[in-house]
Amino acid sequence: MRQIHLQILMLMVLTCTYTTWVYAATTGEQWVAPAQEKALRRAQAVVPMVKEVKQEGAIRRSQRLHALGVSVRDVKDSYFVLNSPFIKAVEDHYGAVRFNHGQHAAESGDCTICHHLRAKTATPAKNGDKPLETQRCSACHQQAFNPDYPERLGLKAAFHQRCIPCHEQRHKGPQTCRGCHLNNVPDHKKLVKLPDNADALQVTAECLRCHETAANDLQHSAHWLWRGPSTHTQDHENSVRHGKGTTALNNY
Amino acid sequence: MQIKRRNFFKLAAVGAGSVVISPRPTRAERKKAGDSFACLVDTSRCIGCRKCEQACNEINNLPEPARRFDDLTVFDSARRPDARRFTVVNRYHSGRIDDAGLLVADYVKIQCMHCLDPSCASACVTGALSKHDNGAVHYDVSKCIGCRYCMMACPFEIPAYEYHNPLTPRVMKCNFCEEQFTRQHKAPACATICPTEAITFGKRTTLLQLAKKRLAKYPARYEQHIYGEHEAGGTAWLYLARVPFKKLGFLTLPSNPLPRLSELIQHSLFSYLWSPALLFALLGGIMYRNRAKNDSGEGHKQSGGVS
Ligand code: SF4
Ligand code: SF4
Ligand code: SF4
Repeated sequence: MRQIHLQILMLMVLTCTYTTWVYAATTGEQWVAPAQEKALRRAQAVVPMVKEVKQEGAIRRSQRLHALGVSVRDVKDSYFVLNSPFIKAVEDHYGAVRFNHGQHAAESGDCTICHHLRAKTATPAKNGDKPLETQRCSACHQQAFNPDYPERLGLKAAFHQRCIPCHEQRHKGPQTCRGCHLNNVPDHKKLVKLPDNADALQVTAECLRCHETAANDLQHSAHWLWRGPSTHTQDHENSVRHGKGTTALNNY
Repeated sequence: MQIKRRNFFKLAAVGAGSVVISPRPTRAERKKAGDSFACLVDTSRCIGCRKCEQACNEINNLPEPARRFDDLTVFDSARRPDARRFTVVNRYHSGRIDDAGLLVADYVKIQCMHCLDPSCASACVTGALSKHDNGAVHYDVSKCIGCRYCMMACPFEIPAYEYHNPLTPRVMKCNFCEEQFTRQHKAPACATICPTEAITFGKRTTLLQLAKKRLAKYPARYEQHIYGEHEAGGTAWLYLARVPFKKLGFLTLPSNPLPRLSELIQHSLFSYLWSPALLFALLGGIMYRNRAKNDSGEGHKQSGGVS
């Protein structure tokens, strides 16, 4: 029974890989999950700036939303990519942050922690929906240092000022830059220079051209120096003589 | 010719006259131009990420630092801006604690304050340092003779000198990324990169209003003082802090601009070069008189010899 399960699983994995490969081969593009594609498209959208906000205190707002029946259960989109043109226009230091909206809503249980204000006039209700009490961050927070709205934070600062203290205080979520941000990896198609039919050593040399520090670091890490039993080597469970630090072939 | 007392006073009067007609704008005129650019550094927002240091290094093509910008152990000792870095962030423990009773650090970014009435510019004998109407205190290397008076005059100890560069040494200090906002309408690199907007860029009057609003809105969060509003006659870089500024390494400075007296003396002395001219005239006069004396003395001796 277990065997059959495994076989089915293998078949599924292979089919998926094959489909992706065929898709990439025929279209020349990499397959992107629909949720990711939607999030990327959404991140590019720019909405008109909210000029005036409804003045209400944090507690008052929270209570009012509660009375209206607006809660985290109303979350429609659970996954965003925080990659706004407002930020990219002035700097491109890190890759975009992948933000799990649904999870954050469920964890905090209170929309108003992030959606702390709303436009003075609420967007009216559409076919049976509740009137819109929350808006996307970039509806209010756009370019930094707008002289007409000096007290308003730019989008980047709005994100950081909301995220960092919360992660610190709750001891939850990443606490370092790279914990949230993807590395801004430049397109290696333009960087890598290899002859046609390059051999393995040429490829390694080309990697080392830029990543020498990483290579040195690796040679001092367990990935390079491990020795001892491995859960994946049969019949040698107690042997300490095997491993990359001893008998196994070391290569990149 | 002998310089008589009367002639001396005449010359001195010419010198004094030239001071009066000196074309340098007075302080009042400079103030009126007033709405220059400025930055408000809210240290309560700073998370000590050192991205501003990195951005400053990159935009000014400064040499690569000895330790990487993501190395936060540099905070273990206090640092100063120097010839290789225009800005540094320092960490202070003022005794402030968080809800859990743990010590919380405050981070302070320092750079040239771009004083409204800069001592460095007053001390500079060649005008290599000057205050621009846009707010920046500008350094012109082509005028600099390397006397380093500016380094001694600056109350914030900012200008540094490229001692390691014997052939073309420069005075090094933050240039306010002046080209960024004059040519490209962009904020300085450090303000642009700051993830939390701890550095707000704008017109000085706007930023002062903004700072006052923050102090009024969050009285418990801030020390009720805007550092730079009046210090040393006012500076273009303004600071807000959670704790008394003294605990964050800020100097307590008088509110009258420090350079007034030195500037008055120095600029009176050097304008139109009347004082060196007078000095040389005086020396020339003394030489002439001594020679005349010697001539007559010799004549006396000779005649004595004959008789
Ligand atoms: S801080 Fe120092 S170097 Fe900068 S403008 Fe003021 S006096 Fe000049
Ligand atoms: S204003 Fe420009 S030169 Fe000055 S500290 Fe910031 S980045 Fe450096
Ligand atoms: S970039 Fe901003 S938050 Fe980071 S150290 Fe500089 S001033 Fe502080």
